[in-house]
Amino acid sequence: MIDNISLAVIKGSLEQVTNEMDTILIKSSLSPIIAETNDMANGIYHPKTGETIAQGSLGLPVFLSNMQFAVQSVINSVQDVSDFKPGDVYMLNDPYLGGTHLQDTQFVRPIFYDGELFCFLANTGHFMDIGGGTPGGWAPSATEIYQEGILIPPVKLYNEGKLNKDLLKVFLKNIRLPEQVLGDIEAMKNALETGESRLLEVIDRYEKANVLACLDEMIIRSERQMASYISEIPDGVYTFEDYLDNDGVVDKPLKICISVKVTGPNMEIDFTGTDPNTVGPMNLSYSTTVCACHIAIKHIFPDVPVNGGTFKPIKFNIPEGTLVYAKPPHSVSGYTEVLGRVIDVCFGALQKAVPDKVPAATFGTTGVMTIGGVHPETEKYFVGVFPYPGGYGGSKETDGLIHGNTPQSMANFMSIESSEHRYPVMFECFKVREGSAGAGYHRGGTGSSYTIRSLSDQMVVSIMGDRAKYRPFGIAGGKDSVPNKVVFHLETGEMVPVMQTKIDKQPLKKNETIEVNSPGGGGYGDPTARLPELVLADLNGGFITEEQAKNDYGIKFHSKVTEHGYTFYELD
Amino acid sequence: MSKLAGVDVGGTFTDLFYIDIETGEVRITKVSSTPKDPSEGLIQALKAGDIPISDLEMFLHGTTIATNAIIQRKGCKAALVTTSGFRDILELGRRDRPHIYGLSGVQNPLIPRNLRFEVAERLNHRGEVITPLNVEEVKKIGGYLLDLNVDVVVVAFLHSYVNPKHELEAGQFLNEINPNWHIVPSSEILNEYYEFERTSTAVVEGYLRPLISKYSENLKEKLSKSQYNKSISIIQSNGGVLNIDLLGKNSSNIIRSGPAAGVIAASFIAEQIGYKNIITGDMGGTSFDVSLVLEGVPKVSEQVDLDFRIPLRKTMIDIHTIGAGGGSIAWIDRGGILQVGPQSAGAFPGPVCYNNGGLEPTVTDANLVLGRIDAENPIGIDGTLNKELAEEIITKKIAEPLGLSLHEAAEAILRVVNNTMSGRMRILSIEKGHDPRDFVFVGFGGAGPLHTASLIKEVGMKKALIPCYPGVICALGCVIADVKHDFTQTINLPQSDWDLNLINRVVDEKISEGHSRLEAEEIKLEGIENEIFADMSYEGQIHTIRVPLLPPLSKESIIQAFEKTYEKLYKHTLPNIPLTLINLRVSVTGRRKPIQLTTFMKNHHATTIEEAKKSSREVYFNGRFYNTPIYDKNRFPLNQVIEGPAIFGQEDTTIILEPDMSAYVDDLGNLIMEVIK
Repeated sequence: MIDNISLAVIKGSLEQVTNEMDTILIKSSLSPIIAETNDMANGIYHPKTGETIAQGSLGLPVFLSNMQFAVQSVINSVQDVSDFKPGDVYMLNDPYLGGTHLQDTQFVRPIFYDGELFCFLANTGHFMDIGGGTPGGWAPSATEIYQEGILIPPVKLYNEGKLNKDLLKVFLKNIRLPEQVLGDIEAMKNALETGESRLLEVIDRYEKANVLACLDEMIIRSERQMASYISEIPDGVYTFEDYLDNDGVVDKPLKICISVKVTGPNMEIDFTGTDPNTVGPMNLSYSTTVCACHIAIKHIFPDVPVNGGTFKPIKFNIPEGTLVYAKPPHSVSGYTEVLGRVIDVCFGALQKAVPDKVPAATFGTTGVMTIGGVHPETEKYFVGVFPYPGGYGGSKETDGLIHGNTPQSMANFMSIESSEHRYPVMFECFKVREGSAGAGYHRGGTGSSYTIRSLSDQMVVSIMGDRAKYRPFGIAGGKDSVPNKVVFHLETGEMVPVMQTKIDKQPLKKNETIEVNSPGGGGYGDPTARLPELVLADLNGGFITEEQAKNDYGIKFHSKVTEHGYTFYELD
Repeated sequence: MSKLAGVDVGGTFTDLFYIDIETGEVRITKVSSTPKDPSEGLIQALKAGDIPISDLEMFLHGTTIATNAIIQRKGCKAALVTTSGFRDILELGRRDRPHIYGLSGVQNPLIPRNLRFEVAERLNHRGEVITPLNVEEVKKIGGYLLDLNVDVVVVAFLHSYVNPKHELEAGQFLNEINPNWHIVPSSEILNEYYEFERTSTAVVEGYLRPLISKYSENLKEKLSKSQYNKSISIIQSNGGVLNIDLLGKNSSNIIRSGPAAGVIAASFIAEQIGYKNIITGDMGGTSFDVSLVLEGVPKVSEQVDLDFRIPLRKTMIDIHTIGAGGGSIAWIDRGGILQVGPQSAGAFPGPVCYNNGGLEPTVTDANLVLGRIDAENPIGIDGTLNKELAEEIITKKIAEPLGLSLHEAAEAILRVVNNTMSGRMRILSIEKGHDPRDFVFVGFGGAGPLHTASLIKEVGMKKALIPCYPGVICALGCVIADVKHDFTQTINLPQSDWDLNLINRVVDEKISEGHSRLEAEEIKLEGIENEIFADMSYEGQIHTIRVPLLPPLSKESIIQAFEKTYEKLYKHTLPNIPLTLINLRVSVTGRRKPIQLTTFMKNHHATTIEEAKKSSREVYFNGRFYNTPIYDKNRFPLNQVIEGPAIFGQEDTTIILEPDMSAYVDDLGNLIMEVIK
């Protein structure tokens, strides 16, 4: 049994090791997606169970528990633990073994102390290209995982410190940006090595037996902590369902059903009733579905530390063959949309139990827009990625945020001026989408609207979005928000994609434009209870329309014009 | 005519450092700050030190007024005029959220949406006019703004950093409508692309201007009443001073005024004794500020977030703040693990031992319980500390639940907070590609010298320096800072398009602008230094690195400089990828006559170790009590090494030396401590 002082201090030191690994990977990686948007994670994992001990605080939520699954897959891939040797580095990207999508590649390194396996260090990085049919890897029309890129099961990239050159050659030959990815591979290996030497220092300082005891104790303590939060949720069975518009290939809604059963300190999450896996890429592997639930719960209880113990009190029943437990070779590159909806249904179910702690639905679509083509001035190939910004749901504490990123990500939107330098485009507007928020005592955040004009005759646009038919929901009496809308303004006239917000490689000629309107967030609580002064401020700010002020919020007002013609509203 | 006074107005205390260079006389004072009118506290500090105000040659000043105005939203009523279609840039930011986990919290822009207006106009990224400025719309908005009673109008158009014409024209028309408005074109504040960051920076500037101008006038008047009519300078976030008469147009330059002065002072002092690579740590009541100094030069950053979605792009000394200070609260989480901070008991009610009704155990309480601070003579507060109450609360809230003794619990609180602080120190150096163990730590601030010994052990550093006056070091920094102006211009050219004529012209313009600003300052200088930097990257990369350039500039010398810098940071370069030069930066520094630190020693009356010993008390280190001698640092013999444990007291701080360490006071009054291996 470890004493309480050592536990606090060793825990801090282990977390510090993972934070330092994060820092090194972010600073030394080549691709902007890691360097700029932290699309990576680093952690320490249990030598026997592969459970997370500590994970760096800069990694994206989407890797919250997926990393642990990757480490467990590596452990399962060997005959015996004695197969692990100092200096080994395993590599994998199979979403059915490590989660998420093919671009996210995991490295796992066994760490030895006194000649014995002590723990694993692992990291993951999003590679800018992974081969397959669509540059960048988001393939709205992929029907098999083989179309999405090269698949890597757990294999040794380094064997006792020696690089497996042949494996690396095969891998790099299969992807579009080999130099950039090689730089990221170096950075990931570097982060693991630095992490190892730092970890060994920690063990030297606090002694092996103490640190080992701490690994087990950290898991026990986090389990206890999570259990204490779950105990505060009233016992009961809470159900919810929501839909994805379609799978990008077949225009048919896809249902996700959740049932959350709370009994004392235990929680059981059941997805029975969810639609079967899809033809298009709207599928999740088992582990990604589990991870999505963990993300939702971590957003509701942000204080719980993240390790293998945190989520032990939560059990899952996910029926095989559903779109939340797809099997190979189903395509998964639309996973961001499905994962978002799983987070939504978790919120939807739990708001029935603890409405004070759960926000209404966020805008609910990652909606990645990719533009690509040949730049007319440089004559070079370009790829630009614009992820959707949108509104957050209102919560007990506040209105919803405007222009947020998705709950599973922290990725930013590129600067307009910088985009116009890089790509042959000109933005026509970039603004609050007026009237798009769900009304509520705390209203949702509005969505955003932007329109991009092409300045090239050789440009194509792909979009992977959702929430065009099924709106982000309000809770506790709050209203739903306004759904997603994508419109192409072409020479031939206006065009709305057949799959509403999913389209693969639509040409956009010079001076044609694409207009994107992202959803707002759902409202929280009865809108007629909102303070009239706040409704008026929203009306004067143009966040809500006159009709919404009247009909949803029920305030009475009139407009006034100042001496120089400025129009504003006053309460009657 | 050799008397200088520096005053740093902080959130809790106003510190003064006064020096008469001829006689070597030094005076320091610490009084409570007066948040309603900060200049009150400033005058009180001068009075408390009995400073001969009318004889002063220079008065230098650091202040938190700008930061507070932003955080508390106490600036002015400002309007924003933007390119048609883009008035929401300020509100939308870059698609982010306040915290990685937890989805509540909202943006709260400095200018609300109903005070943001659009006019038809558009430039492309080359600065070419796509849509001419619609003058009628500008005039119409001008009319609205008259009715709306604003004080400031910020004008921020897309791509104005390449071509400011439209912004300036619109500003001109608005000025004609009401000459009393402060008009702030974004291109006058920042010549860089990134529309959100530029607009936000201009808005911060505009939001502060009326307030800062008023503050400057008020301060001048107050000092003039005290018979001081010479130059008043304010320390800027970049560590250089600025004449108060220029402050009105540079209001956003003083966001980090005081903390920057602290780093300047620490770096100056350390360099005097040959330490060029240091980590500075300023620990106060609520926060711990860390900063890195390499080869005698404080690291700078180009952007800071003042609040959620309020970035400020200005060259600033890179200071990282975490919530760890004397007031940080110790608590036990639901898993039964001891945590310290980030919540703080603040100045009120403060730690339990302050006896102001505080009920949560803090770091200061732990220091008191362990005998590290003196209950009878606390620094910076009147009266005595209530040790019994601190013991009771730590026992009840920490020791009993964790099954520890009182003293074990108190020591555990310190270990946890030191662990947090040392973690930040490590990350800071690792981010810049360095090993923290190669650095010397300079500890200061009210609580810094109490924790310095444990911190360096925690990080694995060998040596630390506590400057002569660690409790008023920001005020001291004001007195020694140079005069500094920074300029930026985005040119964004791929290597194939580098035009050396253009590059040299931009650099020359900025240098001469810097020189004329220095002249306008009317501060006595010994020399002027120009530095040139370029923000560069490999083509396609998003992150740029800051590359120092040496004239004469040529394509080859720029490439070489880039490769050298890149290799230093990332240990390798990327062959066969061409470069991009995004921004040119010019720094013009006017060097003031350096102060001889030996003058500080006039206050030092070295005796023998025996005579310097005031008393002793029982102090708890590593699980047991040691009878620990307490020395008067101002009487300690110079260069005589003693081994810990020991405590050194002086008017503005208490320094702890732990058992397995040695220390001496050097010729400049600094205390140097080392870990004995």
